[in-house]
Amino acid sequence: MNPAFAYIYDELCSERRLEKDVSLLETELSRRGIEGRIVRLAMFRQPKDVVFELMRGPVKNLVFVGNDLTLQKMMPFLPDVDVTFGYISLSPPSALAQHLGIPFGAAGVDAVAARLVETLDVGKINDRYFFTEVVAPEMRASLDIEGRYRLQPAEGGAIAIRNLAGTSGKGCSHPQDGKLEAFIQARVEPKGIAFWKKSALSESHIFFTHGTLSSEKAIELFVDGQSIRGNSFSLSVLPRKIRMITGKQKGWEVNSASLVRKGIS
Amino acid sequence: MFSPSKGVEGHGGTTIIARGVKLEGEFNSQSDVLIEGEVHGTLSTSGLLTVGPDARIKADVSAGEAIVSGTVEGNFVVSKRLEIKSSSKILGDVSAETITVESGAILSGRMMVGTKGTAPEKSATGSSRRERNASAATTLLANER
Repeated sequence: MNPAFAYIYDELCSERRLEKDVSLLETELSRRGIEGRIVRLAMFRQPKDVVFELMRGPVKNLVFVGNDLTLQKMMPFLPDVDVTFGYISLSPPSALAQHLGIPFGAAGVDAVAARLVETLDVGKINDRYFFTEVVAPEMRASLDIEGRYRLQPAEGGAIAIRNLAGTSGKGCSHPQDGKLEAFIQARVEPKGIAFWKKSALSESHIFFTHGTLSSEKAIELFVDGQSIRGNSFSLSVLPRKIRMITGKQKGWEVNSASLVRKGIS
Repeated sequence: MFSPSKGVEGHGGTTIIARGVKLEGEFNSQSDVLIEGEVHGTLSTSGLLTVGPDARIKADVSAGEAIVSGTVEGNFVVSKRLEIKSSSKILGDVSAETITVESGAILSGRMMVGTKGTAPEKSATGSSRRERNASAATTLLANER
């Protein structure tokens, strides 16, 4: 057993449908000499307690095994832990694994074994960290950017603040640029005399380092998929805050390369 | 609308203020900017500024390069090339190194060409021949309408 590695299995790894995948994963880890202590999450076991307990030992690489939701539920406290994180996805949703360039299933062991480590930005909303995105579904709110200007959908709209990407797998922001990206979807009337058409959606897009999302009424936001409520939310980015094991085909590098090919950047 | 389960596509490094969105305050950028919505305040970018046909800008604007198809109320300073499309309406002084104006564009203000983006002077008596020629061109275009 390699004491530098530890693995946290999500509850879903105990499901019968994943038995073969887990077995194959453990065989591969053993074959490569990176098998380590395994801790399984359970209903009454707080993920934070599990992680901090493991940190008392000589662990240098902590790998989460499960799906995107496993990684998302760890994110509120991971930036405070001084260790390199890894992630192996055995079940959908797995868009985050794709963005990080980690192959799906037991093939993800290749990425862990190669140990290509990148330091990535983390977003912060009020006192809470987020890794992927914050989504404010349709509502009336405004986004104050760096105290210099304010953006507001005239007829209401939805706002997403992204550090990396959503769980849908669409698009991928660069988590090493020291910036957050805001996407504002506003409802707009159809152009010209096409009155029979339904109103369309426009999409605005800006980059920023800190700002405030506010609304007169309390609104519900989804932070890494978890719901929070409030009137005012301060947003910021913490550049290069966590170390993560990634694969070779990272989503943000693929995005940049395709934009360069199109002559956009 | 996007939801926690959906998502949005990326747009590269371009800042986009789309239709139905209002920006108020001092906006500065180093990258390309596309405006399709409303802007009130000041707008500055060292990259390419594109003002779409539905855009309404009430602001002093400065840009590296600009292509204008919408409405701008305020002084417009461009370092290099400024293209004014036929659907555009500019109420304010304009200066740029080179300016292209399509027939049908509405311009109300002084125009300075070959200035590398210095703001037109307030004094009416200090106009250069080049500025007077540009002003004459503007009047001609307005008369064409």
